[in-house]
Amino acid sequence: MPPIKIYKQDYIATPAGRVWAAFSKNPFALIGLWGVCFLLLLTILAPFIAPYSVNEQNQQILLLPPSWDPLGHVEYFLGTDDLGRDIFSRILHGVQLTFGMSLIIVSCALFLGFLIGSISGMMRGLKSSILGHLLDALLSIPSLLMAILVVAVIGPGLYNVFWAVGIAMVPQFIRTIHQAVHEELQKEYVTAAKLDGANNLQIFWYVIMPNVWEVLIIQITMAISAAILDIAALGFLNLGAQAPSPEWGAMIAQGLDNLLLAPWTVTIPGVAILFSVLAVNLVGDGLRSAIAPIRN
Amino acid sequence: MWQYFFRRSSLFLATTLIMMAVLFYATHLFPVDQTYALTGIQQPTNEQFVQIYQDFKLDSNEVRQFIAYVQQRFSGNMGISINSQQPVYDELKAVLPASFELSLFSGTIALFLGVPIGVIAALSKNKLIQGSILGLTLAGYSTPIFWLGLTLSLWFGVNLGWLPISGQINLLYQIESVTGFMLIDTLLSDSVYRLQAFVDAIMHLILPAITLAVLPFTLIVRITHQAMLHVMNQTYIRAAEARGLHTFKIIIRHALPNAMIPVLKSIGIMLGSFASYGIVVEVIFSWPGVGSWLVSGIYQRDYTVIQAGILSVSLLIIFLSILIEFIHTVINPMSKKELYASY
Repeated sequence: MPPIKIYKQDYIATPAGRVWAAFSKNPFALIGLWGVCFLLLLTILAPFIAPYSVNEQNQQILLLPPSWDPLGHVEYFLGTDDLGRDIFSRILHGVQLTFGMSLIIVSCALFLGFLIGSISGMMRGLKSSILGHLLDALLSIPSLLMAILVVAVIGPGLYNVFWAVGIAMVPQFIRTIHQAVHEELQKEYVTAAKLDGANNLQIFWYVIMPNVWEVLIIQITMAISAAILDIAALGFLNLGAQAPSPEWGAMIAQGLDNLLLAPWTVTIPGVAILFSVLAVNLVGDGLRSAIAPIRN
Repeated sequence: MWQYFFRRSSLFLATTLIMMAVLFYATHLFPVDQTYALTGIQQPTNEQFVQIYQDFKLDSNEVRQFIAYVQQRFSGNMGISINSQQPVYDELKAVLPASFELSLFSGTIALFLGVPIGVIAALSKNKLIQGSILGLTLAGYSTPIFWLGLTLSLWFGVNLGWLPISGQINLLYQIESVTGFMLIDTLLSDSVYRLQAFVDAIMHLILPAITLAVLPFTLIVRITHQAMLHVMNQTYIRAAEARGLHTFKIIIRHALPNAMIPVLKSIGIMLGSFASYGIVVEVIFSWPGVGSWLVSGIYQRDYTVIQAGILSVSLLIIFLSILIEFIHTVINPMSKKELYASY
């Protein structure tokens, strides 16, 4: 039955409302959103719900298989590693390091990138070119190389991952924001606002920015998934988080010695990384396909 | 167009200089003597000491030092490796081709599989095919590469025993390095076993190449898909259909060339992460390329190797991304509009 309309008036949804309507129609995007919410919750609650502490070792049960294996034990849900540490607890603690860290890195990179990108996007000519392209070309250096340089200077550690991945991430934000602002600046409605006497700041904040947010949000989701993968890759190469740390990539590196004997020490952290990156990517993908028809 | 070319070249020069400046600054920051960081000679004799001071102009001001640094590096004096005591330049020449071989091979796999699959995903009316292709590529895009590499080598290398999982070729074969590309070298060598060696080299190449190809493959599929969807709705495609052209011909002649333009652009953007992934893959599969060389260099704090590796890889990436951007502008008529019409 079509909705009864008494008055001849169409309800026009707000742009955000339309994006949400399109987004929530896509079941996979919703699954991804639930996954991200779940991860966010875990980031805060992980230390409270983990059954064991990070480095608690039980020498009696080394390399215990996960609980669904006949040899497994339900008290150690995902099994134990070669030092008798509970993998489930370590994975939970690792959420803070891998996922939480990626959020911090992305927000810092976003702040810097937003500042430089919007300034260079609003400017024209050589100054804009210098800020926009130079950084962009120079810092298209992969994050891993940046990390190697940082490690060579100040040594390995989780703190250095912050610098390495952060520095590699800033130019992506600069590029995105620069291009988006630059593109919007060419359009007629900006000229109209200019003719109305708006100054540059007003044009930037009230006229252009509402149209840039959407691009920015998509870029943020992409950056988060890239950051998770980078943090884990650095941990895996022993350049980031170091040995006892429950960072997921470092956990894989620690399980590597027992890969043939106890493949779950490598598989389970890998699945955790896959799950979180997939959740973030699903959200980003859903957002992109929700926003695309509205923008066009 | 020439003006654009010169603008891009000057951008390349400028970024190269900045990159050199960053590395030069880093030599001051390394927790060792500057002479050691510059040349890799830990305890130079008096003559060497004087030579180093002369080469790098260490007694004059910073700007002179920087100029000397740039001159030395580009004339091939990259010092000696602290670990192996060999000239870094020779080592670099030995490892770069291996990396090229791996990345070219996996790039080719990604391109030749990715484009047709992307086209199929865009054209198929079957929701299931479309959905499964896109879902699989999203999953592939989200997989951590080191984990994927380990899992593949565990399955196909260890459990099934089909493929070798480390190195470039079996050590039984003694292949002289002519071009540095193992596939070509095995064919060029005059050994009686050269065909077997060639097959062995291919077997060694398969697993790392497939692991490395996952990222570009998934991205190419997704971007081809989007671009094809966009292109197929254009009026010129409908015009071609109205003229009665065969669908296949429309795709090959009219749609694909236009759909490839955004793909090319995304390849340029992807280069950085591709190189990152390449380094990880080389470490996992012990591929004797620049990535594993660089990572073992950082484990041993081999400062000359670190400088040379970072410099060569980043310059390559900057050069290639600027080149791809240039090609993109040349073949894309739409970007000429922006070039000439703006400002």
